[in-house]
Amino acid sequence: MQEAGGDAGGGSRAGGSGSRGRRGVGGGRSGPRSAGTTSAADHGAPGVGPAQHSLRPGGDPWSPAQRPGSRPCVFTLNVPFPSALEAEIARGSLAPDAEPHRGAVGKELTASGSVLAVCWRAEDCRLLRISIVNFLDQLSLVMRTMQRFGPPVAR
Amino acid sequence: MPAVLGFEGSANKIGVGVVRDGKVLANPRRTYVTPPGTGFLPGDTARHHRAVILDLLQEALTEAGLTSEDIDCIAYTKGPGMGAPLVSVAVVARTVAQLWNKPLLGVNHCIGHIEMGRLITGATNPTVLYVSGGNTQVIAYSEHRYRIFGETIDIAVGNCLDRFARVLKISNDPSPGYNIEQMAKRGKKLVELPYTVKGMDVSFSGILSFIEDVAQRMLSTGECTPEDLCFSLQETVFAMLVEITERAMAHCGSQEALIVGGVGCNVRLQEMMETMCQERGARLFATDERFCIDNGAMIAQAGWEMFQAGHRTPLSESGITQRYRTDEVEVTWRD
Repeated sequence: MQEAGGDAGGGSRAGGSGSRGRRGVGGGRSGPRSAGTTSAADHGAPGVGPAQHSLRPGGDPWSPAQRPGSRPCVFTLNVPFPSALEAEIARGSLAPDAEPHRGAVGKELTASGSVLAVCWRAEDCRLLRISIVNFLDQLSLVMRTMQRFGPPVAR
Repeated sequence: MPAVLGFEGSANKIGVGVVRDGKVLANPRRTYVTPPGTGFLPGDTARHHRAVILDLLQEALTEAGLTSEDIDCIAYTKGPGMGAPLVSVAVVARTVAQLWNKPLLGVNHCIGHIEMGRLITGATNPTVLYVSGGNTQVIAYSEHRYRIFGETIDIAVGNCLDRFARVLKISNDPSPGYNIEQMAKRGKKLVELPYTVKGMDVSFSGILSFIEDVAQRMLSTGECTPEDLCFSLQETVFAMLVEITERAMAHCGSQEALIVGGVGCNVRLQEMMETMCQERGARLFATDERFCIDNGAMIAQAGWEMFQAGHRTPLSESGITQRYRTDEVEVTWRD
């Protein structure tokens, strides 16, 4: 679980901390750790859901746990905002566009309190990484927009 | 008197415009230009747009002399176009719409061109030739839809010109098409190229392959100059466009033609279309480069029409789409 730190409404540092996540490549057969990563987030522990593929001798890329349609790569991100309204605005801006590789990567955005929680599930790490990087670029733009043209008007 | 803010960034131009009651109050724009011999890629283009869009937004508001409170609706390009650039612009539109609590409107890029063409020229019901780097369509309005009468079956005419410019390493500044046009004026020899009109439609990818091949050969033997090739390519593809436009005008009994889209800036194309129109006793309409080339005000104008007609785009339906046919939109603002 990646914690994105940052000032109130300020730029997210999540991009920089991506590489420090724990990677479970090679042999791990534990299931997707979404439940585990949620609780890990509470302790602020960094972690990336383990990738399930193991390359066996002979080059067979499929392990029994990695059937087409299963998404063993999980990544979660929590982005704090100054208020619940701003988290909801960010969610409203970033959620509507569909993922380019819908069949292989999906993400869910939830605004809970003043935190925008994003959870990715992907079939492979490469597509996951691409999706995360693109998301962070758009998130940064949303945050800059809110800084420059906010705060939100009263409802 | 609603004022509409429009965001456009489906290709390498990014623009933010403000329109109120048929008046363009602001229309700043930036173009992402790549080195000669290269084209623009989605990721890099999106990065460019993200870097300049907020400055453009501020410029538009300042030039229009308006604050966020004066804006009644936020319009943006929902599609068609390149994915990452479209997303970069859409997220800003959604964010300001929510920050300022204003309604949001997703606009079809092609309809943006048409509505701005109609506004600027005053044409009442023209047959539209929409020609750009990304689109080539002949469009006529009928019963609440902009119907596509003819189109390219492969690449857009502007795409053909842009990719040919890469072969000759022609500069992309301000645009490859503009530089081809200038070179074509100095061309003297007409090189025969395939002429591929298919009924109501046109095809350009074969011409592109052919001329890329010819360029290698003829330039090395000195049989012709790059200027001759630019001239020959323009004459051929523009004649094809004139033919399919004329065919549509004959079908519709239309007395007006309107050229929109970036390739519409080309004076030679306008000349050839004018000749055809005069022969038919029809009138030709065209706009200048402020409005021919992708811009924010055209999105604002289409948005203004849609807003007045009661269209709204809920956030959940505001996702961009790379494929968006011109006839998918119900044109409720016209009879």
